[in-house]
Amino acid sequence: MELIRVLLSRCAAFFSRQRLDEDLDSELSAHIDFAVEENLLRGMTPQEARTHALREFGGVTQTKERFRVQRGIPILGTLAQDVRFAFRQLRRSPGFALTAIMTLALGIGANAAIFSVVNSVLLKPFGFPDSRQLVILRETVAEMANVAPTLPDNPKHYLNLRTQSKTLEDAAIFQPRGFSVAVENGHPQIVNGLVVAPSFFAVLGTQPILGRSFRPDEAAKGHDSEVILTWNAWQSYFQGDPNAVGRTLHMDGGESTVVGVLPREFSFPHLNLIPVAGQFATPPLELFKPLVLYPQEMSDNGDFNYLVIGRIRPGVTVSQAQSELQRLQQAYSIAMHLQTHLGIDVIPLTQEVTGSVSTGLWLLLAGIGAVLLIACVNLANLQLARAVAREREASIRAALGAGRMRLLQLALIESLVLALIGGTLGVLFALAGVRIFIFAAPAGLPRLNEVAVSWPVLLFAAGLSVATALVFGILPALRSMRADPQSAMQGNSTRVANTRQGNRIRSVLVGAEIACTLLLLVVTALVVSSFARVVTQQRNFDADHVTLAAVNLFNSNYGDTAPNFKAAQISFIDRTLDGLAQIPGVTSVAVTSEMPMAGESWIDGLTRPDHPLPESQRPMVNVRMISTSYRSTLEIPLLAGRDLEISDRSHAGNVLISAQTARTAWPREDPIGKHFDFGDGAGMRTVVGVIADARVNDLKKTANMVYQPYWENPRWRLYFLVRSPLSSSALANSIRAAIWKIDPQVPIPTLKSFDDQVSDSVATERFQALMLSSFGAAALLLALLGVYGVMTYSVSLRQREFGIRIALGSNRASLMLVVLRQAAVPVLGGIVAGLAGALVATRWVQSVLYETQPVDPRAITVSILLLLAVAALAAIVPARRAASIDPMRALRTE
Amino acid sequence: MGEYKSDVLQGTLDLMVLKTLESMGPLHGYGIARRIEQVSDNGLSLNQGTIYPALLRLQQRGWIKAEWGLSETKRQAKFYTLTRIGRKQMAQETENWERIAGTMARFLATSN
Repeated sequence: MELIRVLLSRCAAFFSRQRLDEDLDSELSAHIDFAVEENLLRGMTPQEARTHALREFGGVTQTKERFRVQRGIPILGTLAQDVRFAFRQLRRSPGFALTAIMTLALGIGANAAIFSVVNSVLLKPFGFPDSRQLVILRETVAEMANVAPTLPDNPKHYLNLRTQSKTLEDAAIFQPRGFSVAVENGHPQIVNGLVVAPSFFAVLGTQPILGRSFRPDEAAKGHDSEVILTWNAWQSYFQGDPNAVGRTLHMDGGESTVVGVLPREFSFPHLNLIPVAGQFATPPLELFKPLVLYPQEMSDNGDFNYLVIGRIRPGVTVSQAQSELQRLQQAYSIAMHLQTHLGIDVIPLTQEVTGSVSTGLWLLLAGIGAVLLIACVNLANLQLARAVAREREASIRAALGAGRMRLLQLALIESLVLALIGGTLGVLFALAGVRIFIFAAPAGLPRLNEVAVSWPVLLFAAGLSVATALVFGILPALRSMRADPQSAMQGNSTRVANTRQGNRIRSVLVGAEIACTLLLLVVTALVVSSFARVVTQQRNFDADHVTLAAVNLFNSNYGDTAPNFKAAQISFIDRTLDGLAQIPGVTSVAVTSEMPMAGESWIDGLTRPDHPLPESQRPMVNVRMISTSYRSTLEIPLLAGRDLEISDRSHAGNVLISAQTARTAWPREDPIGKHFDFGDGAGMRTVVGVIADARVNDLKKTANMVYQPYWENPRWRLYFLVRSPLSSSALANSIRAAIWKIDPQVPIPTLKSFDDQVSDSVATERFQALMLSSFGAAALLLALLGVYGVMTYSVSLRQREFGIRIALGSNRASLMLVVLRQAAVPVLGGIVAGLAGALVATRWVQSVLYETQPVDPRAITVSILLLLAVAALAAIVPARRAASIDPMRALRTE
Repeated sequence: MGEYKSDVLQGTLDLMVLKTLESMGPLHGYGIARRIEQVSDNGLSLNQGTIYPALLRLQQRGWIKAEWGLSETKRQAKFYTLTRIGRKQMAQETENWERIAGTMARFLATSN
């Protein structure tokens, strides 16, 4: 009852503060007047009477303050006031406010953004039930270990493993496939999908939301005209028709019946048959067809052309599955009397998808973590420096009657205002940062479409930075409270002691900041120089002014069931080359059989009849079917012999090889005129020319190449190269028109400049270099602010000392030296610590570097020089200020 | 300064104020302060200002009420009066205080 009355009264008072303040003022002045009156009656002079009255009363301000605390709701009452005051304070020192807020915002925003990406790509499991039980199987062949550590799967071995294995619950064989889908009134499109064993969806644990999964009898020739659609395919081809099951889709020149539609959240990653280092942008999978295994594939020497996904039984580990399947493969090799020794490689699906990017992403995360650390250190430093500068203000406040709690509250509110503004900005930065990351990230980054801001992380980063701001805002306030206001105001003794202590803490913080920055700079320098090496080294081909147009011939005119399909293909290529050459502005046209800059592909073992080698020792070469104009269009230097010519049409088997093939297959011999074959019964080839090692597969490495004329083995996938001074976008329509004039039914899945293709192929490296550079720049900026802040405060506090030194005849240069020497201690200490850290950390980044040693003296030297320059810049401004102190003014102001 | 003392004195000061108002009738802040000084024969080194938070505290509890009025010297002043609740509470507070004082006295006597 009484409590309620008190509360009510306090609340009421809170809302009528002004009136009550006036009331109190008149009451207290009446009190003093009474006292003065009485004192006068006692015979004091008016002056004495007043002094006596005030002394008897005690502090008027203190009384008012305590009265106010008693009257209203103390926190609420002063909160608005403190917040207003905090804003005024921040406005008064915009440099400090802006630095602190931006530090907070960048620290929180960048961290949350990068971590969200890492979380989505690496840490979050796939949307399949118990997705950690899913594994990808690849075979190994001991005899081929030096050529290919792992191979895709052979269907016969898959069937054996699937029936024998006790550790696998089930498994499904599948293969990526591009389907040509006819869309109404247009040209066909290439749509990515998979051909899968009927058990595929059961292994994943996915149920179609409409219709059914594949039946076992649908994996047979003639019964495989069914298709299952993803949600997106269902939307785009059937507009989400609920009765889509049973309708047909025109694909690959035939009709396929829809039997099922997958749930919206279904997303199966793009997997490469051979694990590749980089990522290539791939459109999402949309269509699934039953996989039909042909009898000729059911051979132990048959093609290793598939992948197998398995689900291991609950409670079984990946290594248990690995050893069981390895045993089964070995037993099989013996039982079937194979010449080769089969093995298995079991990789968790998550690792398969993200393995090649995980180091890079962890590196980015570590980089941004370092930035967050530096940001926090900087914030702490700023807060400490500010507190020292305001120690005197705090003393005056205490002397004027501010209670301890009140002072603490003020410090808390100021830090809180700062933290809230910075934190809010940080959250906005994080939201924008994730969008920027998605925009800038290499399109091949797996699961990029699943990337979203991770709120727990955002809260963590925000919490950490805000806590830093608060702790380092309040700590000095607590300390200054211990100081007796009288002595703090009177002399400089306490202040100097406090300042020294504060300086030591701040110097250690600056040292830590410098160490982190150096570490980050060294790693950044390594990654950037590695990237520079990738893009600037000799390519031996010229991608400038070349447009790339991919054409697929998957339709009934060119299919292997059509009579004379080879002649039809050759004729299509001939006419297309002619048609493209007639486009105004086109100077040269060529064709090749594999996508440039997409890694090694179409690999065969080269056999020399004059020097036969066992299968495992044959040089593996990439085979390309090209036109005679290929070398000249890409401007690859001819090193020996001659180019392919039209006249070679009548001399079957003439080929070009790359210099590396020459070195590998004919070491210390002249390869021109030498013969070889691929053991495929397609006949003997003759080397007519050697061309330079053009990095057309991968900027990072050269490969053994063999270039055959296209008319000897035309392919269904064609890549036309059009050289012209005109831009690719200007040419695009004419190129499409020229191709469709010859056959309107062929899809053109890719049409872009060769330069873009090249730059897309190093998108991951560029992205890493770009991100780390921006982190490095941020760290450098923070270090600059850190050193500058500490030195500026130190100089402003030693103003009197410098004034005296100047007055005593010290010259200005030596004063600057004093300041610079003071700055040098934490900077040099930090550099030493950072170097030690860098030696350890760079070892770890080696896997993302290309032909770059982790201990690179140049990278280290450049980083140190850069850091020293920045630190010197940060110290020289306060040093100049110290040297330009006017002794008279400095001595007077104290 | 006064802060430490007021913690110890809080209850005591409140009771002194109540007793003063009971015996003197409506009185302003200065009057109460002087009266306490006189009765305690200047044995208390109390800042007069300390009286005001105490007056407010009692007001908030509803034990006293305040009204602006004119003093004998025709000066505007705020006069404090004991309320009905205040009178009742005072009896109880007095009893409490006497019990504590008695206990203290006995305690001090035995430990001598």
